[in-house]
Amino acid sequence: MVPFGTDETISRIVSAYSDMLLRLACTRLGSAADAEDAVQEAFLRLLTARPVFRDPEHEKAWLIRTTLQRASDIRRKAEQRNVPLEDVTEPVAPESPGEELRSAVRALPEMYGAVIHLHYYEGYSIKEIAKLLGLPAATVGTRLARGRERLRQMLKEDVV
Amino acid sequence: MNREEYRKAFDELSFSADFQERTADLLRNRARELEKERTNMTFNRTKRIAVLAAACIALLAVSVSAAMLWLTPAQVAEEHNQPLLAEAFSGPDAIAINETVESGDFAITLLGLVSGRNLDVLNPDLEKDHTYSVLALRRLDGTPLENQDFDFIRYTMTPLAAGCSPRAVNNWTLGAFASGLAKDGVYYYLLDTQSIEMFADRTVYMAFYEGGVPSNTIFTVAEDGTIAFADDFTEVHALFTLPLDPAKADPAAAEAFLNENDMGWTNERASAGEDEFETETRTDEDGNETVIIRPREDAPALAAN
Repeated sequence: MVPFGTDETISRIVSAYSDMLLRLACTRLGSAADAEDAVQEAFLRLLTARPVFRDPEHEKAWLIRTTLQRASDIRRKAEQRNVPLEDVTEPVAPESPGEELRSAVRALPEMYGAVIHLHYYEGYSIKEIAKLLGLPAATVGTRLARGRERLRQMLKEDVV
Repeated sequence: MNREEYRKAFDELSFSADFQERTADLLRNRARELEKERTNMTFNRTKRIAVLAAACIALLAVSVSAAMLWLTPAQVAEEHNQPLLAEAFSGPDAIAINETVESGDFAITLLGLVSGRNLDVLNPDLEKDHTYSVLALRRLDGTPLENQDFDFIRYTMTPLAAGCSPRAVNNWTLGAFASGLAKDGVYYYLLDTQSIEMFADRTVYMAFYEGGVPSNTIFTVAEDGTIAFADDFTEVHALFTLPLDPAKADPAAAEAFLNENDMGWTNERASAGEDEFETETRTDEDGNETVIIRPREDAPALAAN
């Protein structure tokens, strides 16, 4: 694949992946500004690490993993300062109907949140998520089931 | 909760209208800066090599030292625009290994590693230590390896720890970033992982092989916790033992890490695939999905390590 760094590839990658990565980052971060930081850092990492990709799927998998890691780093830093994450910056649309669901996803252990999001938002199958995250399919299946169960418990009053 | 509700909740999120434009501008500017730095670095290195060449010309006329055929880990770090890491590879904490295993068409040389905090100037992490390892790969028949042709993702370079499931301690659980570059026909891996020194009171390995996530078709774990490649694993592979300082072990951190990541291990393989579990997704009339996970009937029980 063409190395990342030319104007053309930068435009292509930012346009193709920004929306997907921003929402994925919001499974770990409560503010749009933090999510934007995580995604920018992932793109910068792509620029500086210069990994070689076999195909677009490999490129996407790399960006997904990197974004999740950068989001975790931002979250950990906020937690280590003993600042509730939502207080770091103003939460996104705190009154919106979906905020309760998003808060529940953020409250999940990280290993469950990404799998839940890739399955429910992006529509990936267990095998596809396994490939994207570099995990055995059985592990993804377990995380999906456990994450879903925890979400049920957290949202039980609202789940029919 | 069903997929529609989930999508609606995340579609409600709004981000800066100019995010893409702002990000693309940021990346273009950074790309230009990096290009400038690389040009300067190449020029500086050329000057240094010219001075060295003048001093050593008599020696070079007699023989070419094997050491001159490889970049050092510090030089590999320099190639990645990582001056602090290059400095660390030249410092007292660096561990030089320089061991070579020949496998398939390749000579695989683990050059060295270093652990420390905040050594990555491009992606600083002030919170935790990382381990950086450098490995060199060359073809035994002398055919040069080039960036354009080498299938980087086909191979895995990963730490493993004796007594721990290879599924628990590996590249994926350690949050690795692998970068590759070819130079003068040799391909170099620079692997950045969470620090592996916490496991230093046991045998720690660096594995390189053709394949992906560690599984029991690739590795076996002996009763005493020793890890080896499976006897019938015939792809390119090499396993190095790392001479870490046991005094740097952190058993409490290692235990916490394993509690978070251990998925067990068995050397016995499921007859119909490598997974010990099978999954089934059922959707009810309301669109709610239930994922059922169950051990494969033909799979042996998992043994935690």
